[in-house]
Amino acid sequence: MDEIIAEYIRRTVLRIPRDDIAAVLQKWGFLSETQLQTINFRQTKESISYSVAELCEENSADMKQAAMLDIICNHIYPNKRMWSVYQMTKTGEETDFFDFTDFKKKFKRRLQSALINVTINFREYEDNAIWIRIAWGTPYTKPNQYKTSYVVYHSQTPYVFISASVLKSNLPLLCQALLVASNYHDIREMKLRSHCLNSLKDIVFKRYSQNFQTYYPRQERNVPTENVDLRIINENRNEKERIQRLNQEVFGDGPQPKLDFAQYKLETMFKSDPKLDVMERKEPFRCLVKFSSPHLLESLKSLAPAGLADAPLSPLLTCIPRKARNYFKIRERKNFLPESFLSP
Amino acid sequence: MEETKSTEGNREVPWGRALTSVFRSGEGLGAAFPFARGKVEERKGRSRDGVLAYLETLEAEAHKLALKQEEEEEQKKQLVRLKARVKELRAKRDELRTKVELQEKRLLDKEGLVTDPAQPSAQTVLEWKIKSIKAMLQVFYLSGISGKRTKQGVCFCISTAYEGTYLDSYFLDILVKSEVQIQRHSVPVFIPLEQIAKEHLQADIRRFLAVLSDHLNAYAGRRYQADQLEERFSDRIEGTLQRNSLCNLLVFNYNVSSDSKPFPFKVKLLYGDLCCSLPTEAIISCTPGAPASLAEMAAAHSEAFRRMALHKAFNSLISAEGSQD
Repeated sequence: MDEIIAEYIRRTVLRIPRDDIAAVLQKWGFLSETQLQTINFRQTKESISYSVAELCEENSADMKQAAMLDIICNHIYPNKRMWSVYQMTKTGEETDFFDFTDFKKKFKRRLQSALINVTINFREYEDNAIWIRIAWGTPYTKPNQYKTSYVVYHSQTPYVFISASVLKSNLPLLCQALLVASNYHDIREMKLRSHCLNSLKDIVFKRYSQNFQTYYPRQERNVPTENVDLRIINENRNEKERIQRLNQEVFGDGPQPKLDFAQYKLETMFKSDPKLDVMERKEPFRCLVKFSSPHLLESLKSLAPAGLADAPLSPLLTCIPRKARNYFKIRERKNFLPESFLSP
Repeated sequence: MEETKSTEGNREVPWGRALTSVFRSGEGLGAAFPFARGKVEERKGRSRDGVLAYLETLEAEAHKLALKQEEEEEQKKQLVRLKARVKELRAKRDELRTKVELQEKRLLDKEGLVTDPAQPSAQTVLEWKIKSIKAMLQVFYLSGISGKRTKQGVCFCISTAYEGTYLDSYFLDILVKSEVQIQRHSVPVFIPLEQIAKEHLQADIRRFLAVLSDHLNAYAGRRYQADQLEERFSDRIEGTLQRNSLCNLLVFNYNVSSDSKPFPFKVKLLYGDLCCSLPTEAIISCTPGAPASLAEMAAAHSEAFRRMALHKAFNSLISAEGSQD
């Protein structure tokens, strides 16, 4: 077996947290039960990785198996990568049956016809998600297995989630191959990026809880049963309830999708006291505002109830899941009213 | 009485006993009597009898006072007890009074209803109205398409169902300005919403909702059938059921036995009509070299899949096979 493959498998195993290695190897299914039992999972990760590499040599693992292990690792820990969302459009109206084998064939053919030195691996998951792993090479060098891009595509949807690696130059090629394989005509990058893949899916597939007004089924809001001491009167009860109601209208009841940041690029004029003429030239004041958080939308949701912001929140913040974007450019509106507006 | 009291009292005080008995023997019982009633003058008058005698009289008086006090206390206690009893009785009386009133009122009500059905109380009318409206709203929801007016337009709710089982609900927030626009929605992304909207939304919103409802119900039905097949017959299916997002292409394998030998069948179900929950094509293929009798069976199975719901068709095939063996 190739030394390179063994080393690659070893390094992949090293990336897995020690407690999960056994489960991941089981999922991979390449090593038999008896072989897995010979590994002592209590030793250091280094030693475990060497044991695994040895066993893989015994079984003569090839690149395909190694790639499978890599895909499985990335599927279990998708949040280690930064994912961008791309949207495809098509003009035709035919009903698409979407055959997985067909898709694979077309994709591979298109990509390999343009660039021979590329490793492509597919894996399908139960939620109709197709994971594609691509290791890029150049016309003169073999594919570098450590520089991989990942594509996640759900059949019959116009959205693709791409975690590109360093080699951005291969992106157009990748997009071309996707269009051909999935039968679409055009692809563009959406202004939506995050580490949490599932939340990106929730936003574009509209799987998060939106608050719709209906009569039935009755949206019974469960009043939180606090230990109400009747001697305590809440002076600001009306205000609290108003904030709660507005918050619920905007954010809904359920958990919010997890985003890392929202970025606003301001190209608005600096508004100052006419007496202090700060800017000599009337140019837009360029400024970048970035909100970062481990869980941006939940923190925005809790701003008003915590008293840190007025309710209702600015629509610039609350439109993030609805517009499916977290990069914004704010320009001056071209009339006398000095209000800013969102660029499309 | 007083005499006995005083003698008793005197008996209680030991050191005076001897003196009083001496005194009594000297002057008789009657003499003790004026003593008890005696006041300062009498005491003064008797002072010549000696200090001890004086002390005696004081003692007797003190005793008398103590007795009186006791009596008073007893009376007070009695009074308190009696007051409490009075309270109790009053409360009971009030209770009984209200009971009687209620009874009377109830009787009156009954009679009132019988005599005056045209005038139920405003409360009951309101309750009945609310009940009937809630029932109406439920009926609308169960019918599949319901809506609610919002500030800027309407919010429609399409609830899907398949053969009596209610499945997911999908929402559309529609703006009614110069043209009708969908502001936001919870329709899954693989349903061709934009297409349907482009065709029907501006022209005829009813048609739009009907078409969309057909798509959603068909999708929900197909997904339900696939889920049922996986749930109930996972042991009979080789490998896993392959499907796509719209559930309009299903591929799975199962074994049929012919001459007591198992043969694998591969089924490919194509649902060409997105508004239909039955397949338009059911392609069954088996391994080459299989006996010709299997071709007949394959045709029959294909027919079954096209006619009936997936899980029901499969169920009938399994039971038919069972009865054959």
